Parts: sequence; C-alpha cells; structure tokens
Amino acid sequence: MELVFEEFYRSIPKAGEEVCGDNVEIIKKENKTIVVLSDGLGSGIKANILSTLTSKIASGLLDKELALKEILSTILATLPVCEVRGIAYATLAFLIIDQNQQLRLIEIDSPTAFLFRNDEVKKLDYREFELEGKKIREANFKFQRQDQLFLVSDGVTHAGIGGLLNFGLGWDGVAREIQRIVKKNQNDLKSNINKLVKIFHTFYGDQAGDDYTIIGMRYRKKRKLNIWSGPPLQKKDDNYLAQKISAAEGKKIICGGTTAQIAARELNKELKPGLKYHDKDIPPTSKMEGFELLTEGLLTLNKVLSLLKEYKPGQIPVAGKDGASRFTRLLLESDSVKFFVGRAVNESHQSLNLPIDLGIRSQIISQIAEQLRRIKKEVEIEWF
Amino acid sequence: MKKNILKICIGTPCHLMGAADLLESVERLEPELREKIELKTSHCIDNCCDQAPVAEFNGKVYQDLNPEKLHKLISKNIR
Repeated sequence: MELVFEEFYRSIPKAGEEVCGDNVEIIKKENKTIVVLSDGLGSGIKANILSTLTSKIASGLLDKELALKEILSTILATLPVCEVRGIAYATLAFLIIDQNQQLRLIEIDSPTAFLFRNDEVKKLDYREFELEGKKIREANFKFQRQDQLFLVSDGVTHAGIGGLLNFGLGWDGVAREIQRIVKKNQNDLKSNINKLVKIFHTFYGDQAGDDYTIIGMRYRKKRKLNIWSGPPLQKKDDNYLAQKISAAEGKKIICGGTTAQIAARELNKELKPGLKYHDKDIPPTSKMEGFELLTEGLLTLNKVLSLLKEYKPGQIPVAGKDGASRFTRLLLESDSVKFFVGRAVNESHQSLNLPIDLGIRSQIISQIAEQLRRIKKEVEIEWF
Repeated sequence: MKKNILKICIGTPCHLMGAADLLESVERLEPELREKIELKTSHCIDNCCDQAPVAEFNGKVYQDLNPEKLHKLISKNIR
C-alpha cells in the first residue's frame, strides 16, 4: 500500500489584525517533507515579517541541507531589530521527515509538539542543548502509520487567558482537546484541524488574544483522481475514452458539457444537468452515476487554475460549492492525478472570439499540471 | 408531470451570453406561469452556439434570448 505524508494548518490572526504573526512553510520533496513554523514577536505586520523571514530562511537552508548552526546564525544575523523592544525575535520549530518515516524535530522557544499515538496524546522524548546562545530541543523518532503529530504556536497554549480561563489552556489542556477530537475521528485530519481551531477560538471568547497556528500531520493512503476533458480528435476514441475513465481506479471528474454528453451516450447513463448557480461566474455542475463531479469546461478550468495559483501547500483547501471550487478541492485532496485530454476543437467556442490564452484547453491543462507539480502531486496527461 | 417544459442551455457560450440571467428570470416569473413550467438545463441545444443564449420551450428552439424575450415567448406559448 502506498502511503503519503499529509499536513494541514490554519493560522488565525489576533482579533483586529489583518495578518497573522505566525508563518508556516511547507516544502515537499520527492524523498522528504520539511515543515517550518515561526511565531514573530508581537502581532500584526511586524510579527508577520519576522516570522516570514525566519521561516523562509529556515526552510530554504534546510532544503539545501545546511547544518543547524549555520541556519541559526543566519537567521539571527538577518532579522530586523524591533524598535520597541530592541530585539529581533521569532520562535522557530521545524521538522524533516524522510521516506523511511524517520522524523527529526527541532524546537526553539515554541511549545513542545503533541504526538497522538494509540489513542493518547504524548510528549516526545527531547534532547536539549545550547547553540548560538539559544536553548534548543531536538526529538528524533520513527513516525508510525497511525501516528498524528501536531505543532502549535503559543497562541494556542495561551488560549483562554483573560477570557474563559485565568492562565490559558496550557500544554495539558491543549493535549486534552487534541486527544478528545482526534480520537473521535482519526481519518479526517482536515476537519479535525478546523474543529480544534473552533475550540481555541471559543476559549478566547471569539476574540483571539494572540495570533495562533496549529499544524497537523499524518500518513494516509494515496488518493487517485482521473479527469476527462474535451472530445477526442477522432470520433472512434469516444468509446475508448469513456470506457477507460469509467474503469479507472480512484475518483472521476468530467470537465466539459460536450464531453459529459459523449460520456453519457457511450456509457449509456443518464446525465442530469444542474440548475443551481453557486457562483454566477461558474456554470452549474451536473450529475452522472459513477462520477464524482461533472463541470462546464473552459471557464471552470480557468478558475481552477487561478485558485491553484493562490494555493500554498498545507493550507486547508478552498471552500465554495461551485464547480471550480469543488474541482480544486478534489485536485488538492488527491496525490496522483491523471488527465485524459481530448483535443478536438469545439466549434461552438469559435463564435465567441475568446482571448487566445483563455480559449485553448490543452494550454490551460498544461498550466494546471504545472501548478499541481509545484505542490508535489504526481501528474500524468494523455492526449487524444 | 407539468405541461410545459423549458430547457435552458448552460453550455459555455450560452453561459457567457447570459444563461444565468435567464435562469434567474424564470424564478421571478408570475407564480401562475411559473407553476406550470418544468425547468431543466442542457449542455447544448441544437448546436446553434453562435446565437447564444439558447432555450427550448415545449420543443421549439429560441435563440439570442434575454429575460424580456424569454418572458414574452413563455406568456405567448404557455399551455
């Protein structure tokens, strides 16, 4: 069984601030994943800059496999000094996990991580040492199939201060909440993160007293997605393609009204075009048995491309019920994506005089594939 | 089964030329008209995309529509 490492995070800014002072960087490589969390001093844009610099430098240098000492001294030498407090400062926590599931975690002034194993949240075994005048905690362990690991910024462990609680949730309080939520539903990391954020928000009395971030990580089975878009050049391929996608393993999307009609005809299934516009710019989706999603073609693909361009690895995928948002979500939730692309020219579009880069299916799909590869999805395209 | 069937094309050209407005205008029809109509959508009607937006009412195809024209043809042809 093929496994993939999956990670989701949410960062919430302090009430009244536009941006979050915490920053998360996730780098996915063929053989490893790097996750970095940094919490800048204070809140607002200044904290955001401090944490962004810290996490960007750290992730960049980790990616190049520099020693920890080099990374730390570079960060300390680069950060701008805070005018108010006279210090430059952001916390840092990062981890590297390789394909043998061996995980190395380093924490500098951030709350210790939460490991969910065998229905319980535990602390990791740390080794402590000093480097460049900083106290550093390091943990090394083998990540097991059912493990889930959570990193938080101190805004989480402090949740509730001055609100529901005198001294905030604390590490034990957060551990209790994570254990309670994850135990109930171990297979949906994304929704667990959303639930936990809701809980922390409630402890804050719906007014976050500090920036806070939670990252969750785990292994799960690889997910596959198949997409058919566009009628093939040769009519005899209609049936071949329809049978092929119908028999493919994993979830299935058909993108394009004409394509959907071909599929319905060749597979002898009923196609039910939808009526509801969730977003006025994106035509309604349709339904057909055996397929996860049937959308309109060009406009939806263009919207999917722009949604993907905005996406940062680890973020929780876009909300929205329209065809493009659902399409994007399915793409982001999958690990391996296969496109079957027909290249027949749609006569009906020729009358519209669409701008050339909007109008060419093969180009848009190539760009979508490029975006997916950027976030380390396996992509395969077959042209017909 | 309702007596009148209105099918509106939501293919890309028709969408760009205002199919969403047509669909919306159906919901704003006078109740005595609306309740007699079964509303459906289609991915293409009759391949006349250069005359978008297109709709079919009781089997007859109408091209180059807008909400006013749609309203007129419905009130004229309703059974």
